[in-house]
Amino acid sequence: MNSMYIDIHNLSFAYGHRSVINNLSLSLAPGDYMVVKGKNGSGKTTLIKCLLGINQVKAGMIFYNHQDITNFKKWPLFGYVSQKFEEFNYEYPITVNELLSVYSLKPTNQSQRLKTLDQLGILEIINENINNLSGGQLQRVFIARSMLNNPEVLILDEPTASIDKMNTEYFYRTVNALNAQGITIILITHNDSLDHLNYSHVLTMYQDMTFSFQAREKCDLSEVEML
Amino acid sequence: MTLSFFTDLFSYDFMLRAFAAGIVLGVLAPLIGSIVVVRRLSFIADTLGHFSLVGISASLLLSTLGISILFDEPLFLGLIFSVVGGLLIELFRRSYKNYKEISMVIVISLGTALSAIFFSKAKATGSIYTYLFGSILTVNNYYMYAILATVVLVGALFIFFGKQIISVSFDETSAKFLGINVNIFQLIFMITLSVVVSVMLQSAGVLLISSMMIIPVAAGMKLGWSFRSTLGIAIFFSELSVFSGLWMAYSLKIPSGAAIVSVNIVILLVVALIKKIVQKRQIAKMNKNRI
Repeated sequence: MNSMYIDIHNLSFAYGHRSVINNLSLSLAPGDYMVVKGKNGSGKTTLIKCLLGINQVKAGMIFYNHQDITNFKKWPLFGYVSQKFEEFNYEYPITVNELLSVYSLKPTNQSQRLKTLDQLGILEIINENINNLSGGQLQRVFIARSMLNNPEVLILDEPTASIDKMNTEYFYRTVNALNAQGITIILITHNDSLDHLNYSHVLTMYQDMTFSFQAREKCDLSEVEML
Repeated sequence: MTLSFFTDLFSYDFMLRAFAAGIVLGVLAPLIGSIVVVRRLSFIADTLGHFSLVGISASLLLSTLGISILFDEPLFLGLIFSVVGGLLIELFRRSYKNYKEISMVIVISLGTALSAIFFSKAKATGSIYTYLFGSILTVNNYYMYAILATVVLVGALFIFFGKQIISVSFDETSAKFLGINVNIFQLIFMITLSVVVSVMLQSAGVLLISSMMIIPVAAGMKLGWSFRSTLGIAIFFSELSVFSGLWMAYSLKIPSGAAIVSVNIVILLVVALIKKIVQKRQIAKMNKNRI
């Protein structure tokens, strides 16, 4: 059962002398769904990198279940899909199944892999070389990878940047369903429209380092499907 | 010529040792090479080879000065220096995060300079040729033990940590979410690679080690459809080139490393050419069907 609380206290971050985040504070409860929006350069990805411990936090604090991020070890509780999958080394052949088995904590859990792929509608490409996949298929493979180890928190960084409108809507529905299962979602988007997203909080970041953090009531999932 | 190669193979100890060493390295080189390729570190084997040469030349110098260490066998000091080179690369890589290749240039330059000084002081410039281009036919028993120990080390690493190695190589950030300490894994891989390079140095030569690791993998990538199949094809090509390279080296009296790598290149070119022709035919067929 998801029990992950996320607390950010007075977080500031700078690349050298260039400040990107200034005094940001917010809290999320288990099962919340936060959309982070803002223009390019407003610090969305920087925030995510702080949350993932890639950027070392020097001013302010981040707590996961009251534990300081600097001592946090339970990273398998997180799933992460990066912006353009650019950190992944392509070209060397590897099948979807091989990729997923490498990133599964339990190597024998083939049924979990099949279930996840089926849930994302890409079961038929399980034995395909990932280099032959379309952008939309690849994106879903990476989402499948982030879900494999039953994460309590799923962080998605502009995941719809490289896919078409139809796949985007399909993807948003999938995220809503995952959130309905109790997974905390943090989704970054540069879209102004938040249609189809059944979020509970929205963090808007601005280029002058101000921000607004608002909560709202989530819709009944069947209503979202109708949107 | 061919017949004498086969009869000599089983008549002379040195031939049998060369053959056994070649067969083992034929698996080891593409196995570790495939990870090197995925991590985009193809030049690293070259760098480590050059630094390993410092140990070899230092060992020859010490021997000239009448100081005997590590059984007077250059291989062992070469191995230590290769590991030191690997650690230096990791150290420099962390201080030039966005220009990681700088670390290799620093280490390769230092390695070349020091070994040139030591070789000249040892008055052993004649042996440089062997270490640059490789001579698998001169491998001794120490070398065989070193190869066996390396096979055990690499085998254990891949059996117990294969999944972690592959996950870190493809995507360091996501490997973190498996609870893997990426820095420790990089260090372990670098040490392993350093050991493999120093063990390959005598047979392949400093200048050709990376070719033995990378080129069969490059050919495998042209034909493979999965990680396993690509690795399998790479090992097959590697063994093919070792076997025919050894035969060429023995028959034509040319350096073994050079012969093996030449065969590797020929295989890569043939594979690339065939793939291109097949692809063109497929496209032509598709266009024809469309019409």
